Amino acid sequence: MSTGPVTTPPAPGAPPPVETVTVTIDGKTHQFPKGTNLLEACNATGANVPFFCYHPGLSSPAVCRQCLVEVKGQPKPVPSCYTPVADKMEVATASPKTLDVRRQMLEFTLVNHPIDCPICDKAGECMLQKHYFDWDGKLARNDGIKVKKAKVVDLGPTIVLDQERCILCTRCIRVCDEVAGVHQLEMSKRGDRELLGVAPGHKLDNPYSLNTVDVCPVGALTSKDFRFAMRAWELYATPSVCTGCATGCNTDVHSSRGRIYRLVPRVNEKVNKHWMCDEGRMTYKAVHTDRLAAPMSEGAAVEWDRALDDATRRLRTVLDQGPGRLGVVFNATSPNEDLYALAKLAFDHLGVGKAYLAGRDQGWSDKILVSADKNPNTAGAFAIGAGRLKTLLDLANDLKSGAIGALLVVGTDGVLVGDKASATMPLDKLEALVVLSTHKNAVTQAAHVALPLAGWAELDGTFTNKLGMVQRVHAAIPPAGDALAGWDILSHLAHKLGATMDFQSAKAVFTEASSKLPFMKGAEWGRGVRPLQLRFANSRG
Amino acid sequence: MDNTLAPPQTRRVVMGIQEPQDFDAPELPTEPLPLNMGPSHPAMHGTVRMVLEVEGEKISSADVQIGYLHRCFEKESEFATWTQVFPYTDRLNYISPMLNNVGYAMAVEKLLGITNQIPERAQYIRVIVGEMSRITDHMTCLGASAMELGAFTVFLYMLKAREWLFELIEEVCGARLTVSYLRIGGCAWDLPEGFAEKLRSILERSKGVLAEVSTLLDRNRIFRDRLDGIGVVTQQDCLQYGITGPVARSTGLAYDVRKDAPYLVYDRFDFDVPVGSVGDNFDRYAVRVEEMKQSMRILEQALQQIQPGPVAVNDPRIILPAKSETYNSIEAMIAHFKIIMDGIHVPPGEVYSYTEAGNGELGFYLVSDGTGRPWKCRVRPPCFAATAILPELLKGLFIADIVPTFGLMNMIGGECDR
Amino acid sequence: MSQNVLERLKAQFTGGELLDTGSQHGDEWARIRRDAWVTVATFLRDDPATKMEMFTDLTVVDRFATEPRFDVVLHLYSVSLKQRVRLYAGVPEEDPTLETLVPVWAGANWFEREAYDLYGVRFKGHPDLRRILMYPEFVGHPLRKDYPKEKRQPLVRRQPGSVD
Repeated sequence: MSTGPVTTPPAPGAPPPVETVTVTIDGKTHQFPKGTNLLEACNATGANVPFFCYHPGLSSPAVCRQCLVEVKGQPKPVPSCYTPVADKMEVATASPKTLDVRRQMLEFTLVNHPIDCPICDKAGECMLQKHYFDWDGKLARNDGIKVKKAKVVDLGPTIVLDQERCILCTRCIRVCDEVAGVHQLEMSKRGDRELLGVAPGHKLDNPYSLNTVDVCPVGALTSKDFRFAMRAWELYATPSVCTGCATGCNTDVHSSRGRIYRLVPRVNEKVNKHWMCDEGRMTYKAVHTDRLAAPMSEGAAVEWDRALDDATRRLRTVLDQGPGRLGVVFNATSPNEDLYALAKLAFDHLGVGKAYLAGRDQGWSDKILVSADKNPNTAGAFAIGAGRLKTLLDLANDLKSGAIGALLVVGTDGVLVGDKASATMPLDKLEALVVLSTHKNAVTQAAHVALPLAGWAELDGTFTNKLGMVQRVHAAIPPAGDALAGWDILSHLAHKLGATMDFQSAKAVFTEASSKLPFMKGAEWGRGVRPLQLRFANSRG
Repeated sequence: MDNTLAPPQTRRVVMGIQEPQDFDAPELPTEPLPLNMGPSHPAMHGTVRMVLEVEGEKISSADVQIGYLHRCFEKESEFATWTQVFPYTDRLNYISPMLNNVGYAMAVEKLLGITNQIPERAQYIRVIVGEMSRITDHMTCLGASAMELGAFTVFLYMLKAREWLFELIEEVCGARLTVSYLRIGGCAWDLPEGFAEKLRSILERSKGVLAEVSTLLDRNRIFRDRLDGIGVVTQQDCLQYGITGPVARSTGLAYDVRKDAPYLVYDRFDFDVPVGSVGDNFDRYAVRVEEMKQSMRILEQALQQIQPGPVAVNDPRIILPAKSETYNSIEAMIAHFKIIMDGIHVPPGEVYSYTEAGNGELGFYLVSDGTGRPWKCRVRPPCFAATAILPELLKGLFIADIVPTFGLMNMIGGECDR
Repeated sequence: MSQNVLERLKAQFTGGELLDTGSQHGDEWARIRRDAWVTVATFLRDDPATKMEMFTDLTVVDRFATEPRFDVVLHLYSVSLKQRVRLYAGVPEEDPTLETLVPVWAGANWFEREAYDLYGVRFKGHPDLRRILMYPEFVGHPLRKDYPKEKRQPLVRRQPGSVD
């Protein structure tokens, strides 16, 4: 669940309220702000008018004619996606004429549609299937001979096109033009021979190409990554947030039986509207590769209790030499709850003086969605660190000078470890290296005790994006192996170290953190969600 | 409820010596003996446990514990599409599976609003297979009850007749018990060739079997002694407990859904509703025998009246289209796909639909949230209400009376426990 | 079909006990305020114009997302007048209790036990409120919407697919 920064009511002298018009839809009168799209207005009243080419995040060309409704005074049915509401308009969305026209348009759309449902990726979340089933109950009355087009067209690095399935709605063309800002797709020919293809000299390779797969109402555009990987109706959707960069696009995680199969954007007008970049979509792959599944002590997999005891013993040895000997590494990819628990343990209980902030390196960015900062929670880390965090360069210096004898690392993204020959981050000098990590890497190899951390898809928590919005992620799959959430591990560690920090749930951490930290004051934890099974969710559309 | 009909010439036995009735012997100290009957007991068919407290042979209290056959029908229905619930309904009253199918199909059709659009042939088929199932239900009940009283021959005769009916049902849909023959909107397919002749021949022979059984039981001294006046249920009891069906009719309450709220084509048939007067075990037996004869009357009339025609409503959003269409047109492919994957889109709403099943008013209370699967699919089991009266009914009876009383209530575990 | 039952109810209960009435698919229904449950039921049983002598069914619907969470649903039938009605009583999650109907119809005993067993709705004054379909060591109320179908009970061993 996303929340904005705390808002205050408008000051006196604010602009006047929006002008509204009165519209009668199916016999009932409603008020809508002037300029509202008639299709949105009808569907807001529950009329469920079907549409293909219209999309709330794109311009409206009114090519598919599926949204035709009867308006009193107009000689022909009117495409509601193209018509703004007007005062005293009377609309019938389910009159016999409208229903007949709706059915006729579906018949036209289906007349050349290949009988691909058993092999089509979109089956189960296809808008053509949904609208046929809702609005058209008639069987075919043509001879079944359909126009043949190319079935497997490679459009670019991410997308495959099936030209026969395309219903010529042009949503994909508008996504490239309006969202990505490049013209890479085009229609050619006309009538029932009309084809979708790449614009001359181009490939479909913009960084937002996979949004075309989302908006395609049918299975014409399919993602090379997801093709034939999993059937849509077996997937469960859990709301979450992308952790690829500081934008924090809202997502839905589609998973089945503990494995994630894809990420799709979730609508949030303030953050990402309806879209997501391709790189962010691929962040789900890392959840299932190279995971640290069991607690390790001295390179061997052990039980949690034993690993925590070993860690405590080592840290205690160094702490007895003085709290300044222990260094703590925060990570800008950790959720607020983990960072808060670590800050509480390190600063309040252990009195640690040396704390550092690690994170992924900066990368490319654009003006659309991608941030240069590839860490999802830099804002949170800075706010929780409150000026006490130094950089990794400082850490390298402190290690070389031997100022710290032990290091507690929570999250290993971007913590570089040089080989023994080089002295980039000379971790081998440490008496105690305790690492909490989601993945196996050089840092966990070098660690004395490595504890498996639950990743963003496996925990309930919050991330703060670059706009300062605290956004909630929900656990979509159970943690890999024996992994636990960071605040949970730190609670156990604190208990063994003799500190009184005992969090029972992520919500408890959040509640305490939001009461103490100003940037989290407006945030809400939200209600728990039951993962929504796509099969009964009536098509994502 | 005390058993007022004591056997003649009561003698009290004290220390092995028969004493005359008027001997004033001291009362022996007794304690109620807790006695466990079931759940694994030959007479507790359907697995029911009765924790009895007996004083000598007399029951002072009976705790009837059901639930041993609970298979989570309602919970499973909430995770299945509307069509996928049919196999679960087969297993409710598993002796008369077609009647459960009929009840559920009619409930969903009522919720869809297509009750009037079911083709006539489909309605006749539903009546025919329903009445066949009713006959098998009563045959099993009476046969098993008689067997438990020692009349093993009756059991074999009834089962022989029942087999003829089951074999015919197997010809229709491929299974004796797990029929799943009906669909929302009609029947899965038509009756096979030669069905009418076979059924007529079975009815002929079954009448002979019923006549034979009558001669064996109706005026049998032992049978009558064990059933007469035992387990008397009153009309008021039936209303209080919600008991319907043969048990209610044996008390004199002339309530039959087929007559009081006719559904399908039952209003076209000429049949009677047998009603008892005493409400004891024997009346329940007699009512069931008569009901079988009336069901046979209905079957004969249905076979005469049925006409050729479609067996399912012609809407691809409810009934799967023919395979030739499905493989050759996108519309039928989509319809087929959505009916199976999404489930039929039943508009949001609630409905209570009731039919006359073997044991009484079988009700289906369905709640739909507009998706392809039920939000709630409640079965109102007729024998649940009948079993609920047993703890009261058994007080004061002898242990041996439990057997015919429980047997003739016809508690089917699948229906009672779901 | 049983419109006059609703008419009688509307005429008799004017103090807000009748929250809503309606008719859907030929079924007449009325929503009753929780504290008037037994009063309305007794009236329907005894009033000569409704005479709902027969108790048909009592169950619970878990609405889950709306308040009140549970709806106790009662079906009644009049054998003499051939009328039916469905009554709802909204029961909230924090206080899932309702008065028992056992004094009105003895048959409500087992049906209320089942409602308690599967949904956790307690009936005040019930002579013997214990589980009826589940075994006594069962934990939870299985037909509630937040009870996962694969949930493992303490007495059952782990199996593939069961959740703890």
